Amino acid sequence: MERDQKRLQELSEALQKFQDDLQSAIDARQRLESQQAENKAVQKEFNGLDEDADIYRLVGPVLLKQDKSEAKSTVDGRLDFIGKEITRTETRIKDIQQSSEKSRMEMMQLQQKMQLAQGPG
Amino acid sequence: MSTQPSTSTSSGASTGGQIDITTLPIPQLSQLQTRLSQELEHLSTSHARLRAAQARFRDCMRSIKDGVENRKADTPLLIPLTTSLYVPATPNAKKPNTVLVDVGTGYFVEKSTKDATRFYEGKVEDLNKNLSDIEKVVGVKNADLRAIEDVLRAKVLAEQQGGGDGKAGQRKEGGGG
Repeated sequence: MERDQKRLQELSEALQKFQDDLQSAIDARQRLESQQAENKAVQKEFNGLDEDADIYRLVGPVLLKQDKSEAKSTVDGRLDFIGKEITRTETRIKDIQQSSEKSRMEMMQLQQKMQLAQGPG
Repeated sequence: MSTQPSTSTSSGASTGGQIDITTLPIPQLSQLQTRLSQELEHLSTSHARLRAAQARFRDCMRSIKDGVENRKADTPLLIPLTTSLYVPATPNAKKPNTVLVDVGTGYFVEKSTKDATRFYEGKVEDLNKNLSDIEKVVGVKNADLRAIEDVLRAKVLAEQQGGGDGKAGQRKEGGGG
């Protein structure tokens, strides 16, 4: 009985931790999504530009002139990276959800068991 | 932390594949109510932010029109160095009708005033789409919230009158999310 209580405590702490992890993973996922949207907008803008259009990049307080091809490949690289990060975060979210579900099931079973044990007594 | 707080979970109920909210107990209903109000709050903040962004883009368009395209050659131009300090400026004589546009993520592109205006029009148009999307979602969520509040109120009332004999769960309200 006491062991069950302790296990229940452990499980509920684990569940809380899973919830926190899940929230931070979801936040990260949302951040990545908005970055992706912004970079996509920039990429689209670059694709519609003339070959000789002047592109500047804000570095600290100054604007540096940059080659169109260079700017383009930077943005493409960023999008590539963000895409990978999104898949990674999604796997993480799925993992957390699975482990959380497992703990939840165990907790429910344990609670049922304890209720049954308590019932007749 | 119940397992079925979502109205879209498939389970046998009158409203085709959705849970009939009248069958839910009071704690779950109030949980649902809190969550929906939070979502609505979040959505209306986003809506306000998008509106503000749209206003900024419109300001840019107006500035291009009034300050660059329709500027008389002898109208003086001042650059704000701080909010209270200005220095006189002369436009680039070689490129009189070009502006630098912030296209996002730290990149600026030199554009003719016409192209820049078109760019901002596109942005405003995109935001319009997003705004109407949000408005649609807000409408649906508002209706959901109202339905839940109605059922919740009815249940609380029934419980008070019936002395909490548990009959409240069998009431038929007919309103499904």
